[in-house]
Amino acid sequence: MNYEPLREKLQKGGTVILDGAIGTEILRRNVTWADHQLTSKPEFVRGIHEDYIRAGADVISTNSFQLSRRALYNHFRDDAHRHHIGAKDLDERANLLLAASVRLAVEARERVGAKRPVAVAAAITTLEWCFRPDLVPASEQARREYRELFGIVKQNGADLVLFETVNSIGEANVAAEVARALGLPCWVSFVPASTGKLFTGETLGDAAEAMQQRGVDAVLVNCAPPDHISTAMKELVPRAKIATGAYAHIGRFNPPEWMFTDEYPPARYLKECAGWKQAGARVLGGCCGTTPDHIAALQALR
Amino acid sequence: MYNELRSRLDRGETVLLDGAMGSDLVRRGVRWRKHGLETDAETVEALHAEYLGAGADILRTNTFQLNPRLYLHVFRDLEHMRQIGAPGLEHLVPKLQKTAVALAKRARTKAGADGKVAIAGIISPLEHCYRPDLSPPYDAALREHQPMAEVFAAEKVDFLLAESMNTIHEAKAALAAGRAAKLPVWVSFVIGPEGELLSREPLADAVAKMEKGGAEAVLVSNAPPADITRAAGRMKGFAKGPFGAFAHIGRFSPPSWKFDFHPQFIETEAWPPAQYQAEARRWKESSARIVGGCCGTTPAHTRALREWLGRS
Repeated sequence: MNYEPLREKLQKGGTVILDGAIGTEILRRNVTWADHQLTSKPEFVRGIHEDYIRAGADVISTNSFQLSRRALYNHFRDDAHRHHIGAKDLDERANLLLAASVRLAVEARERVGAKRPVAVAAAITTLEWCFRPDLVPASEQARREYRELFGIVKQNGADLVLFETVNSIGEANVAAEVARALGLPCWVSFVPASTGKLFTGETLGDAAEAMQQRGVDAVLVNCAPPDHISTAMKELVPRAKIATGAYAHIGRFNPPEWMFTDEYPPARYLKECAGWKQAGARVLGGCCGTTPDHIAALQALR
Repeated sequence: MYNELRSRLDRGETVLLDGAMGSDLVRRGVRWRKHGLETDAETVEALHAEYLGAGADILRTNTFQLNPRLYLHVFRDLEHMRQIGAPGLEHLVPKLQKTAVALAKRARTKAGADGKVAIAGIISPLEHCYRPDLSPPYDAALREHQPMAEVFAAEKVDFLLAESMNTIHEAKAALAAGRAAKLPVWVSFVIGPEGELLSREPLADAVAKMEKGGAEAVLVSNAPPADITRAAGRMKGFAKGPFGAFAHIGRFSPPSWKFDFHPQFIETEAWPPAQYQAEARRWKESSARIVGGCCGTTPAHTRALREWLGRS
């Protein structure tokens, strides 16, 4: 219901504005992000979603980066070790937090009551670390895990999955197939290397084709600096038969947090996005380091 | 300073390690970034001071699980880190190590404990301390532990503690790195649910190999108190040199998105200081001569141990 207007808009060649960063925005507001703050400060997370809706986002994405059972289980040798020394709620915690992340975004939409349609995208990234294609799990194992994750977000009211910061076509294929089987609209966003290719060396053209074949509505690039995104768009757009999009990060990854820089204030970021729109992108937003002010500036692209 | 510690052990005295740094800093509200060494140096120093005040004989540097992989592994590779990472990340670890030593030393000097309290430079597994499956082979491990050991030697820590080792081969590499840097080395092992190393390698084998490799003491750690009690009981049968024991309390509650060790332990109230002291008495009864606290413990636990052991 909330997604259909977006699909139509994209089919007609209209421009859709995504939200900006949520994880780094939590940090920028001087709160730690160790537990996503989904249960400890729900109103705070919801407030950021509300700010993005007020700034003009057509799509708000959930605060669920790398939030999965696997991420928590990876801290232990195995089940026996986790059950022996881990917090007692760990077997259920990730799924409960993921559900909460969707519900908070849905609530934010209800509270703002914007007149335009706003879709809630479940932001799901790779099962292992997003920058590490060497760790991608085997397909059948990944399929089981995506079924669980996407099932949860669908059940809790997500309008689509934004499968983002993806580093290999193989894992994207699995996720896209699972989304399609569940009847959940899916956008897939790849992380480009400075070469304009994926970290695996695969091309964005091949990625776009694979996504189109699996019923994905839009293919994007994200989580790279604006100049890398510009290079990637040149690779992606000419070969994509479905809608394309881009959202860059601003600043520097300073693990486990973010280094904010003033290199791309909203007006300058708008110029970059306008360039990507010129190149053919129809979905534009912001990745790490961007703020509601950046999304407000992107309204000029409509 | 180390010689004095060593002669105390040789005389059969019990020496007191401090308690947890990371988990207590997190509990105090320190955001776990760069171990708090850049943003919360005063809090780190104050915690060292509290452990000194509580009667610790040994302070451990706040460098657990701090090594270049911690930063490199969240990027595709070094080139990617240089492209999108904060400037200086690749040279950060030695800087943080130096800061960590300086904070422990400053706390010691301010407390008037120079010459009385030893500072242990902490190195730990290159990968997650609970993931022996990820431990690199011996040669790679030695190559990576070596520069960290050398920084600690240059900063003049009193000895090196290779802490929470989870495989024999990486412990051997850390030990060799410390010896090559001319530092006395102690080694502690994570005890797994089966009572052996977390890798399931036999504890007896690990102890024998460490002693053969020149470790001055071997310890068991990173497991709940009852497990440590059992492990200490077994150590008595096969340790030829001094050995020690320190348990974690509460339950490990990792962050929901990232992979590096984030020292958050919850439900630690299940082990108040008096109860922890009662358990530690059993370690000493098993002939452990080094006792202290692992994750979740606090200066109050150290104080309880000191009250039982008496002034040193």
